[in-house]
Amino acid sequence: MPEETRENPVAAIEARHLSRRFGSVAALDDASFAIARGEFVALMGASGSGKTTLMNLLTCLDTPSSGELRLNGVDAAGFDEEARREFRARHIGLVFQQFHLIPYLSALENVMLAQHYHSVTDEASARRALEDVGLAHRLDHLPSELSGGEQQRVCIARALVNEPPLLFADEPTGNLDAENEARVLDILRRLHGEGRTIVMVTHNPALGAYAQRIIRLQHGRIVP
Amino acid sequence: MTGILLLRALSVRNQRVWVVFLALMVGAAIVNALISVYFDIDIKMSRELRTFGANVYLGPAHGHSLPEADFDRLAAAAPPGLVAAGSPYLYGTARSELENVALAGVRFSALRALVPYWQVEGAWIGVDFDDRNAMIGRTLAARLNLAVGDSLSLIRDGRKKTLRIKGIIDAGDASDSLLFVGLELAQDWLDKPGTMSHALFSMMNRAGEVERFADELRAAHPDWAVRPIRKVSANEGDVLVKIQGLMGLVSIVILLLSTLCVNTSLTAIVSERQREFALQKALGAANGTIIRQVLLETLAISLAATVVGCLAGFVLAQVLGQTVFSASIGLRAWVLPITFALSLSVALAAAALPLRRIMYIQPASVLKGE
Repeated sequence: MPEETRENPVAAIEARHLSRRFGSVAALDDASFAIARGEFVALMGASGSGKTTLMNLLTCLDTPSSGELRLNGVDAAGFDEEARREFRARHIGLVFQQFHLIPYLSALENVMLAQHYHSVTDEASARRALEDVGLAHRLDHLPSELSGGEQQRVCIARALVNEPPLLFADEPTGNLDAENEARVLDILRRLHGEGRTIVMVTHNPALGAYAQRIIRLQHGRIVP
Repeated sequence: MTGILLLRALSVRNQRVWVVFLALMVGAAIVNALISVYFDIDIKMSRELRTFGANVYLGPAHGHSLPEADFDRLAAAAPPGLVAAGSPYLYGTARSELENVALAGVRFSALRALVPYWQVEGAWIGVDFDDRNAMIGRTLAARLNLAVGDSLSLIRDGRKKTLRIKGIIDAGDASDSLLFVGLELAQDWLDKPGTMSHALFSMMNRAGEVERFADELRAAHPDWAVRPIRKVSANEGDVLVKIQGLMGLVSIVILLLSTLCVNTSLTAIVSERQREFALQKALGAANGTIIRQVLLETLAISLAATVVGCLAGFVLAQVLGQTVFSASIGLRAWVLPITFALSLSVALAAAALPLRRIMYIQPASVLKGE
């Protein structure tokens, strides 16, 4: 992995002229922006606006066609697959709209899985992560035995257990009812309050309002 | 964590895991049984083909007779267990009260093993020293109008030897015209003590052992004419080669079918678990880590299937042995590592393509449900 250089010591994420093309189609076109450490930013836009494409680049699930990308001070644009994998494991926490829990592992084991791919498993800290999202009583339950809100909180605990500096949430309340949506947003706000950098993808303006700042996308371009 | 993933992943996919298990188990069982029979078949077949009678001839290279002691010298020179039965034969003509008859002196105790295909009316003579009974070929018996229990007297120089007919032989060959008596009696009556015309042996033809032994004897005893009776020995070898080839072919087909079945099931498993693998990659798992995990699952199923397959294979080998040869098949320890190696090779070959698919799973698109 490239050595960490800090051109902008305040920026957690810094993109310059970032583009991603699929054939002749530009899913993301010349995006430039910066997200400060500790900032809570919402990526918003209609379907097909390029939110997911940008999210995939920021979470190192994809590589840009051109442009610069610095994540936590590291040049991520030129990462090969192995470097992207390692960066994801060490620096990025992912919260998915569809939770993506392993169905045959308990809540605790699902959280420990992230530790397993990061370094070593630590049951005590996995328990603490679940306790922090209010699931101390659901440690040994399988995902099928949890409500949607509980599954999303397990997903958040899994994203946080390795204490990554960057937390990405892709439509984190998209599959939740109002009560669970409020609960998940409370957790995100608390994490933001603790100084964590959070990037949340949403198409819901009400959710976007929870963020400090909104980056809007339209037809693959950032718009004011 | 690896252990938890292994056990849980296997336990939640019962149906597919069972299909893989059964495919590998059946493959291991059949291959194990066929290998066991394959290496036992030459002995079993040799025993079976012994029912066709003698397969080695010992006669004089020059002249018409050999010392009877040569029979024992040959038997002593044979590797242990090679000679199943043997008898010197002495032929001559004797005068009976009715007409001249062709006489054959034999060791009766070996006769049943040398000519098991004879149909005997009455009874066989079981001991070599019996000089009061005789067996007679059916053609000669008909000509002399003799039946079982009748008597026939040999006459020579004022001597008379009366023999009771104990059995009438239907051999379908020249034996039907002979009168069989004990070797000692024949030597005495024909005035050829310690002599034989030739000898016949029934030998176990393990992997062409008879041919090799005959070659050795010819080299060591130029005065002997030693030759396998090819009618039996050569056929025996041909049949063995064909049966062993057939078994090898069946084993290969079974292994290919097992590979195909396991491959199909593993492909389905990988396809079903695509999201799981995508998530693991998103969390930072390397391709190698996930491949090792699935490989470990496959090997765990393979090992369990092979252990059960080896046990089932041993039972199947016994069933084959009893059904075909009416004998048990020996347990050879070295068949087990061969079965394990073949079974694991099948599992690995079957897993190669599904495992390769894991490398191409793109977490971003799979987790988005595209």
